[in-house]
Amino acid sequence: MDSYTGVWTLTRFALRRDRLRIAIWTIALVGTIAATVPVLDEMFASEAERAARAALMRTPTGVIFGGPGYGLDDYRLGPMVVNELLMSVLIALAVMNVLSAVRHTRAEEETGRAELIRAGASGRRAPGAAVMLVALFSNVLIGGLSVLALVSAGLAAPDSVAVGAGMALVGLTFAALAVTCAQLVSHARTAMGLAMLGLGVLFMFRVIGDIAEQGGNALSWLSPLAWAFQTRAYVDLRWWPLLIYIPVLLALMSTTSILAARRDFGAGLVAARAGRATAARTLSGTFGMHLRLQRGSLIAWTLATVALGVAFGSLGDQLNTFLAENPEMIDFIGGQADALTDSFYAVIMQYVAMLAAAATIVSVLRARAEETSGRAELVLSTATGRVRWFGACLLVALATAVLSMVAAGAAMGATAAAILEDSAYLGVLTLAALNMLVVPVLFGAAAAFLYGLSPRLLPVMWLWFVASILITMFGPIFDLPGWAMNVSAFEHPGFYPAVDAEAAPILIMSALALAGAVGGLAALRRRDLNAA
Amino acid sequence: MSTPPIQMRAVDKSFGAVKALDQLDLEVAEGQVAGFLGPNGAGKSTAIRVLLGLLRADAGSATVLGLHPWRDAVRAHRRLAYVPGDVALWPNLTGGEVIDLLNRLRETVNHKRKAELIERFELDPTKKARTYSKGNRQKVALISALAADVELLILDEPTSGLDPLMESVFTQCVREARDRGTSVLLSSHILAEVEKLCDTVTIIRRGRAVESGTLADLRQLTRSTVVMEVDGDASVLAEHPGVHGLSTEGSRVTFQVDQDQMDPIMRQVADLGVRSLVSNPPSLEELFLRHYGDDLSTPGVPQEAG
Repeated sequence: MDSYTGVWTLTRFALRRDRLRIAIWTIALVGTIAATVPVLDEMFASEAERAARAALMRTPTGVIFGGPGYGLDDYRLGPMVVNELLMSVLIALAVMNVLSAVRHTRAEEETGRAELIRAGASGRRAPGAAVMLVALFSNVLIGGLSVLALVSAGLAAPDSVAVGAGMALVGLTFAALAVTCAQLVSHARTAMGLAMLGLGVLFMFRVIGDIAEQGGNALSWLSPLAWAFQTRAYVDLRWWPLLIYIPVLLALMSTTSILAARRDFGAGLVAARAGRATAARTLSGTFGMHLRLQRGSLIAWTLATVALGVAFGSLGDQLNTFLAENPEMIDFIGGQADALTDSFYAVIMQYVAMLAAAATIVSVLRARAEETSGRAELVLSTATGRVRWFGACLLVALATAVLSMVAAGAAMGATAAAILEDSAYLGVLTLAALNMLVVPVLFGAAAAFLYGLSPRLLPVMWLWFVASILITMFGPIFDLPGWAMNVSAFEHPGFYPAVDAEAAPILIMSALALAGAVGGLAALRRRDLNAA
Repeated sequence: MSTPPIQMRAVDKSFGAVKALDQLDLEVAEGQVAGFLGPNGAGKSTAIRVLLGLLRADAGSATVLGLHPWRDAVRAHRRLAYVPGDVALWPNLTGGEVIDLLNRLRETVNHKRKAELIERFELDPTKKARTYSKGNRQKVALISALAADVELLILDEPTSGLDPLMESVFTQCVREARDRGTSVLLSSHILAEVEKLCDTVTIIRRGRAVESGTLADLRQLTRSTVVMEVDGDASVLAEHPGVHGLSTEGSRVTFQVDQDQMDPIMRQVADLGVRSLVSNPPSLEELFLRHYGDDLSTPGVPQEAG
């Protein structure tokens, strides 16, 4: 048991360090639930409105962020909360837990802070165990308060408990997954990427399984994200799906425990190999440098968008099956079967653009990381001016945007063309990706502008980015007015291929992006550079 | 060349309410090694960042190799090399890759010297930077800077992570650089290092140069310690205004002498029947403590990043 020495101290320490973070996440998540439930009740007040909404939630687009679709036949408030809200909350919880788990384990080890801890009376398994206790605390807190919010909105108590328990268990599962990933690789960023990749894959399992079959098929049951839905809360409550989390949690935690007890401090499973003694010809100049530094993440982001493209591109024929089974939907969407397929792809292209925009922003902000770490100082003390240094970083960011969008569009197009046996989709969906390309570019330019002006202003860009995502994803549900929808950058390029693309918004956004990038470069020349 | 490689005149730099540089004067003469001495937080690194055009001076004038450090940064940087005090490297590049990358960006490198330096500093260039200790990261930056054919080296506490063996390699390398005609600005808080290497010294305190000149000049300004054994009564010396802190222990006498009063006092001492006499010029440490003694005994002096 020596290897667990110090767990309590570390747990209290982590809770002390994270008290603000935990409070913010709790308020954001529970607040979202508490605020949304009454809105849902009001928005879909009449029987007819609810039936129409339920029909929409049956479509593959609805299933992505909806769920396996329990309770759509009699769409009351309870099933509505589960179908409209739960998926996004679960994803947010998973992200929260992954970030927190890696931050307290591998990130501490990588920076060397954990060395101080480990040199004291604390065991090898203590950090992993402590982070699970912290996760237990924060997830039970969020789950519990969510139950209160649901019950006080007038929903059945046992079913609300099932929803809250499902939330907490999903959170814990991803915390456990992330701690395991943190044992495998020696880099916090890689560990985080690995856990996020896991989240993405498990999300896709659930989506594909749930689209293939209402209630989910075997593939969907492989995903911990599905079990929280399988309690059929507010429809036909059953508790046993929650039991599946227990062996999964135990398996992940024992894997962590075995790995943590055996490996060296600071080491991953893959030993560091010797590298080149001299730099390759390509590692030269600022562009070559930035490209080399971001090569890994450029490839990873592109693979992620391509995977999204392929996964959703392949769902095109499900739409046809769906329409064959629900012919009334054809009238509902305006009489054309193709229109549903096209608007499905247009929505997915917005999601691809969200991912690509995140990639582009992160790529631009590499400059900030270089600056605060002091590495920029080293580079700028050579014959490299600031404009060349940051300009090259922006070119790499642009390449990230182009590559992740176009590759995803082509992959989605090729998949759709194969599945729908209509080769036109390759061109159409590549074009759709090019249509949306301006959005990631604009976000990257906004990041560049604020970074150049003053990095303290960067939260403004993040706010806009998060608001854009939320507005595009949930705005239509809440029937937001036009001006509010217009806040989202994702709404401005035409909804191609469902609606014809327009040149004007793209030209205006491109001009804005150019102005932002040039302004950022000019501003950077004028300000002090500072290490953290 | 008319202007010296580095010249700062009355440079001010504030961060919010904190005055990091306060009318700082600093000069490095051509072909000389100039020591830049002060404890953490005195403003050494701020001054260097101004010289590198990373920070913009609020007031005063500065030139680097005759160029404006902010406007002509790139032109100046082609002719200089810099080693930061806390070297941060890219964790996924090897040491060898970093050295090459920096020299390509600097647009100058002496390949033969680079290979030589890697050997002398005993660096394994095939290891990823994330596995390097602080000392090894410092070696990477040093090798890259010393391998460059430049007119000016700016070294900010370059030996803080090196072991004594590597420190002597470093000392040797800096001397060789000076022999090639390179001017060097060496910031440090290690007095022995400055004493060993530097032709001139500037002592900085709270962003202001409090002393500067050659070591000999600086010593002139202060007192030597004399320890001697005499047959006669040394207490008469105490009446001399140039003698301080006289103490007697049997025949053994210790006191400090103002440098400019050395001659008359020695004449007086000669009459006392000297058996042995040792006179030590003030060490840099004493010079340093003279300016910082009060800071060291006053807790709560604000310290920002050096």
